[in-house]
Amino acid sequence: MSFAEQFPIVFNALNVGFLQTLKLFAVTLLGALPLGLVISFGSMSRFKIVNSVVKTFVWIIRGTPLMLQLLIIYYLPGLAFGNPIWGGGEEGRFAASAVAFIINYSCYFSEIYRGGIQGVPVGQQEAGQVLGLSKSQIFFKITLLQMVKRIVPPMSNEIITLVKDTSLARIIALQEVIWAGYAFMKGSQGIAGQIWPLFFTGVYYLVFSGILTILFNKVEKKLSYFKV
Amino acid sequence: MKKILALVMAALLMCLSFAGCSKIDPAKDVENIKEKGKIVVGITEFAPMDYKEKGSTEWIGFDADMAKKFAEELGVEVEFQLIDWNNKIMELQNGTIDCVWNGMTLTDEVKAGMSCSVPYCINSQVVVVKAADADKYQTAEACKGLKFAVEEGSAGEDMAKENGFEYTAVADMATALAEVKSGTSDAAIIDSLMAGAMIGEGTSYEDLTYTAKLNNEEYGVGFRVGSNLVDEFNAFLEKATADGTVENIAKTYGVQEAIVK
Amino acid sequence: MALLEVKNIRKNFGKTEVLKGIDFSMEKGDVVAIIGSSGSGKTTLLRCLNFLETPDVGTISLDGKVIFNGENHKQLSDAEVRKNRLHFGLVFQSFNLFPQYNVKRNLTLAAELLEFEKIKNSTSEYADKKQASEAISRKADELLRQVGLSEKEKSFPCELSGGQQQRVAIARALALEPDVLCFDEPTSALDPELTGEVLRVIKELKNTNKTMIVVTHEMEFAKNVADTIIYMADGVIEEMGSAQEVFENPKSEKLKSFLKSSFEKI
Repeated sequence: MSFAEQFPIVFNALNVGFLQTLKLFAVTLLGALPLGLVISFGSMSRFKIVNSVVKTFVWIIRGTPLMLQLLIIYYLPGLAFGNPIWGGGEEGRFAASAVAFIINYSCYFSEIYRGGIQGVPVGQQEAGQVLGLSKSQIFFKITLLQMVKRIVPPMSNEIITLVKDTSLARIIALQEVIWAGYAFMKGSQGIAGQIWPLFFTGVYYLVFSGILTILFNKVEKKLSYFKV
Repeated sequence: MKKILALVMAALLMCLSFAGCSKIDPAKDVENIKEKGKIVVGITEFAPMDYKEKGSTEWIGFDADMAKKFAEELGVEVEFQLIDWNNKIMELQNGTIDCVWNGMTLTDEVKAGMSCSVPYCINSQVVVVKAADADKYQTAEACKGLKFAVEEGSAGEDMAKENGFEYTAVADMATALAEVKSGTSDAAIIDSLMAGAMIGEGTSYEDLTYTAKLNNEEYGVGFRVGSNLVDEFNAFLEKATADGTVENIAKTYGVQEAIVK
Repeated sequence: MALLEVKNIRKNFGKTEVLKGIDFSMEKGDVVAIIGSSGSGKTTLLRCLNFLETPDVGTISLDGKVIFNGENHKQLSDAEVRKNRLHFGLVFQSFNLFPQYNVKRNLTLAAELLEFEKIKNSTSEYADKKQASEAISRKADELLRQVGLSEKEKSFPCELSGGQQQRVAIARALALEPDVLCFDEPTSALDPELTGEVLRVIKELKNTNKTMIVVTHEMEFAKNVADTIIYMADGVIEEMGSAQEVFENPKSEKLKSFLKSSFEKI
């Protein structure tokens, strides 16, 4: 089969795979961005128990490989409790991947949030207080935007890493774009032993992370009118 | 704040307790499958055993067609699920698949981790080298001294050990072939069925060929340890061999030489 | 009757007693300068007046009304504390302008938020938000003119010099019309050549009959501007009196040596 004949087949399959990649990326962000904020509040809590439980949890999640977490979340319920909650199908594998990614990334995000919140000088809050503002007015009108400005650079870094980390989900057979690329090495849809589709998946990652980079630059530029 | 945490915890617990389906009990696999109305077959894409035709979404191949027949015999639907080959035993024990049916060589490791059927196919491991050098490496003896790439945990790796070859274990057969083509390894060991499909004319590996045959190996179907599906399958295979079903399907995919008669 | 009356204010941080019973009072239009070496409790006293710290013991009364009482302050709601705060304004050593807002917005932000709350509760003198905003904006313009920064209203804090930033901070505090305006070492974070413009603004405020408490290391300024000088040492008011009394006739040895080192010329 000539390259011209192969290309549309491969392109199609990679698109399907990349859709799965994008889906996992989007669901992870949707879940981890708010959950990370909750965890960061937990890790800054004045209640010692909450504080130490959350910090231990963050330590475990950040201290072990995401790949291992994927395996544990997907396989442990069936192996340890004889109860395969995720089921064997595509949806179950996606759900397990999403849960693992959300937990993992919310822990990383929580640390970024914490840095952002604690990085806003206490004087800003005090200035709001002596002007008679309430706690919520101070948070929303004064500290929030300063916090956002502080976390944009580390956040964009983490989010671009997430794009590439989604490929780890193929360890539990989530058929994302790298999986789709490998398929043509092993043989798929009449195309076997082809290496180029796997390398070609790099183009997808490059284009997508390029778009994200432009987006984040725009946000940074938008916030560059003031210094914190 | 604490309320939110408590809610999240509660939600997680609920998921764990309610989302569960049937419990795993290998001794009752047949009954459970009939109750579910489907058998989940763990596969990797592997022509001519399990693959899809260009533009089609249906799984076909010698193994796939046989699996359909077996499901028919059980009176249930068949569902093919792609898996990561490294995790096949975990997938079985986890209950996310009911069998591994994918041109699987019955190695000692496989037999230790699963309850296996009787063999239904005889295959062999072969040495893959650059076609230009093929003449020099026709026997296992002649291949000594080459640097090999083999799929980690595969029958090919066992062969490399047995023959005392120097080798690197890589993720899969395709990577092993890529190693040879790129020159990072001198030779690879893959099975002959795979070799037929993946190298030579019309592939990325036109300049590769296979030479020495290192062994004969048997293909079988793997089930959960202690599964009562094993006996069910063996009985089915005996019947299907006797009435010519196996041979008919084998001829469709050009593997009739390899089936166990 | 005194405008501000502070009685027996005590404050501990852990085991350290920072304020050991502070008493003083001041009349409307008075300017009080608080001097003393660092660690003497000057800043903590200002922070107590602005409710950034809660005194352990003591009372603070304004116009004869007790607005803080160490015995029952926990009964005060957040809203009441916020209301009491508004009697005082505070200008910080490090300005603490809001970096994301321009100069004008720094002045109007709090005033608008507070006025809008009042409109919601129908306790505002303004009929609607638009009317309130316009009035607040006009006042901000007037204040910026007063501190000499009218042409900078659209600038952001990062574009201003330290002296300009502090002048904006003073205008911001004035925007809420506090009864007593407090300054916490307003020139300590400034380069020497920029202190003059800030001190000049404070001096002009005296002429408009503003009641002010200034914690400062600028002895000349204290001498020339303050009606009353409070010298603090180790958490107590060591000496208090007119500039002449304190600077010309210091009684305690502590004050004598403090003044000697403060006026020492190299």
